Amino acid sequence: MKVSVKEQFLISPYLAFFVVHSMQIGVGVLGFQRYVAIYTEQDSWITVLVGGAAVHLVIWMMYKMLNKEQGDILSIHETTFGKWIGGIFTFFFMIYLMAMGITVLRTFIEVLQVWMFPLMKTWTFTLVYLIAVYYIIAGGFRSVVGVCFLGVVVPFYLIFTFLAPLEFANLRNLLPVFDHSIKEIALSFKTMTLSYLGFELLLVYYPFFKKPETSQKWFHYGHLFTVFLYLYLMLITLVYYTPDHLKRTIWATLAMWKIIRFPFVERFEYIGIASWAVVILPNVCLAFWAASRMAKRLFNVTQKKALIVVLVITVIVNPLFKERTEIDLLNSIVSQVGLYFIYGYIPLLFFLHYLMSKVRKKV
Amino acid sequence: MSWFKKESKKEDHSLFKVIQHFKKSGDFIDFHNPQSPVPYWISYFGSLIDVEILHRDILPFLNKSSIKKLDELKAALPIENVTVTSDLEVIQKMMLTGSLLIRFTEKDSHGVLVKAEMNKAREVTIPEEEFSVVGPKESFVESLTTNLNLVRKRLPIPQLEIREFLIGTLSQTRVAVIYIAGIANEENINTALQRVGDIQFHQILDSSYIAQLISDNDNSPFPQLIDTERPDRAVGVLAEGSIIILVDGSPHALIGPTTLVKFFSALEDYFLNWQLASVLRIIRLFAVSFSILVSPVYVAVLNYHYELIPKDLMATLVSSRSLIPLPPFLEALVLELAIELLREAGARLPTKVGQTIGIVGGIVIGTASVEAGLTSNILLIIVALAALASFTTPVYKMSNAIRLIRFPFLIFAELWGLVGIAIAFTFLMGHLLRLTSFGRPYLEPIYPPRFEDLKDAFLRLPFKMQPKRPIELQSPDTIKFSGKAAKQKKDIDE
Repeated sequence: MKVSVKEQFLISPYLAFFVVHSMQIGVGVLGFQRYVAIYTEQDSWITVLVGGAAVHLVIWMMYKMLNKEQGDILSIHETTFGKWIGGIFTFFFMIYLMAMGITVLRTFIEVLQVWMFPLMKTWTFTLVYLIAVYYIIAGGFRSVVGVCFLGVVVPFYLIFTFLAPLEFANLRNLLPVFDHSIKEIALSFKTMTLSYLGFELLLVYYPFFKKPETSQKWFHYGHLFTVFLYLYLMLITLVYYTPDHLKRTIWATLAMWKIIRFPFVERFEYIGIASWAVVILPNVCLAFWAASRMAKRLFNVTQKKALIVVLVITVIVNPLFKERTEIDLLNSIVSQVGLYFIYGYIPLLFFLHYLMSKVRKKV
Repeated sequence: MSWFKKESKKEDHSLFKVIQHFKKSGDFIDFHNPQSPVPYWISYFGSLIDVEILHRDILPFLNKSSIKKLDELKAALPIENVTVTSDLEVIQKMMLTGSLLIRFTEKDSHGVLVKAEMNKAREVTIPEEEFSVVGPKESFVESLTTNLNLVRKRLPIPQLEIREFLIGTLSQTRVAVIYIAGIANEENINTALQRVGDIQFHQILDSSYIAQLISDNDNSPFPQLIDTERPDRAVGVLAEGSIIILVDGSPHALIGPTTLVKFFSALEDYFLNWQLASVLRIIRLFAVSFSILVSPVYVAVLNYHYELIPKDLMATLVSSRSLIPLPPFLEALVLELAIELLREAGARLPTKVGQTIGIVGGIVIGTASVEAGLTSNILLIIVALAALASFTTPVYKMSNAIRLIRFPFLIFAELWGLVGIAIAFTFLMGHLLRLTSFGRPYLEPIYPPRFEDLKDAFLRLPFKMQPKRPIELQSPDTIKFSGKAAKQKKDIDE
């Protein structure tokens, strides 16, 4: 079932590069190293590469399905499971998208509360931030993609700031290489996958590309760039921290910024965190845009109304997570769901969809 | 035949009535010469007519000629713009825009309308707002005819099309939409023509009225059409495929569609060599970000993040602020407002008094307030520099917008420090992403990213490297000039 979008709302295929990359880079980057290094220590960079390669496979599967369907996840579900059961699955996917946006925003606010403003109220910041998000999403998918693009380009300078810790690097930290069992790599692979989540939103915005098939190349490049970025950060982290130190550092990336010093600026992490408000903007915007888009397709309401409902729920739910443990739980639940979604559900759907489209063709 | 007579009598009566009505105005002249070979009545508004045309060409002719019919008179008059009509509406309209009416009998229903409009306009002078040291020094004036001449003489090609509209129920202002057919995009032309044609307003005093009435988002502080007083700039963008709008009575042309970066390019950039021009553009870009961000950053750092500042620099800041009773936010706000006051006072007062105000305000009040311990001298430097930097923008309306958006940044900086500034930036980014000019994206070539157009955005690369028209204008004729000759490679000593 083809989903057609009006010509003036379509975007060029090469922008897929920025859409996928900006969605994958979020709050996780500030502290992903520890969760991976717990299992694999100095070999964590291998996990980064293995995880990245596996995601490429999932992207390929999604494109195979979407190219055949020329639609989005709702039409895939409809072909595979029929209208009602498919609708239920789409509804769960919508909830997942919403949870994703909420998680990103709440975790960022936690970073702010830990590093800058311990007494800041969660709901005030959420409210103001979401007004900006609403304003952007109300401009349509084109302006959401614009935010994705600027969210990559504007904070790009931060990449160079990570070179500063190399002054204190100890390359021997990386040795010995290949010193971990497959089981350990598999365990860290699981946590690494969480950092790559976000590309599955392709299932929603695929019909918005001009000649969507051609966007696949750029999509893979965008993901490759994410892999490169994680690898870059992981290597720097591994040579800078000793394994024991890393296990005790929650926000490894943030802590690395601490050693940057200019004649006019110290404590660079403040500037970094402020810039991160722009980095997570594409995450939040895209997630809520996708959630409201799914609601529109499912329930036949206007996207504006759906969006307002989504945002109001966020403002109410966000302050309910108060403690570090609660936020950690939220993060791990959402990422577990994401993990099973991309490595369990998508391959299954790929298989079923293949079968069902064969069956329907015959009928 | 009685009904016919009645009808004509009535018509007779009404032209006579129109004249009688006009006679109530003091500047209306209804003049009868019974002594010429054929007696005639001539009536006109003395305030609208070029008396020289009347005295030199029309009166001597009428006094000698023995023509008795209006049609023959039309052929014989040594002036090209002559109509014979009995349509009261046309007569009324023409007389009100500078025509004179000749009749042979007082109660004639027909008359000859002769165009003898007075064209009194300021001399073409040196541009004041967009002055450049190098380059042409002509600027538009208040007369549309003169302005059209300034444009046409620079583009002597048949493809230059000028569409005129009469807008304003009271002011009846002539508005001209100008473009080069075959170079400007059809869709853009239609948008411009339609929007100008659809304007419903009573009075158009300046081109900025038109700009506000046809802009895509009139709630935005950012101007969406460039206004320029330089004919060379107007012609330059015409050749790229833009559309310009000229308004009678306004010395500013409007340019659209346009993008944000074009507001920061001065025409002088094209007269200087490209390295220098590029450096100047980067300086302007730096000035704009400095102007928006510096006082909010000051407030953010002193309020929340003093750890950000190294010890030595902090010592300087603290010692300059140690005796100041106000918190940084109020201190910055007061100084920013003081600068705005000075600017506003300087703009409203006559030039000579304005200069005095500048000296009194800038030097005396500034020094005194630092000595009195009301503001820190570092903030005074920062705010003054920021004000100075905002004036580097070549387009006046854009520099206004920049000064305005500084205040929301200041408030957000007070709320959440650097994160607040990032949030204000988020709002700004969202707003700019959504803006359009004649339906074309405003933030282009940044988003949608177009590499070709970046050659003439933050930098100005050599002319040879830009053989194509900007993609943003979607011109049907994309090639400006053939770049082949320029591309020939040369080896050493050949």
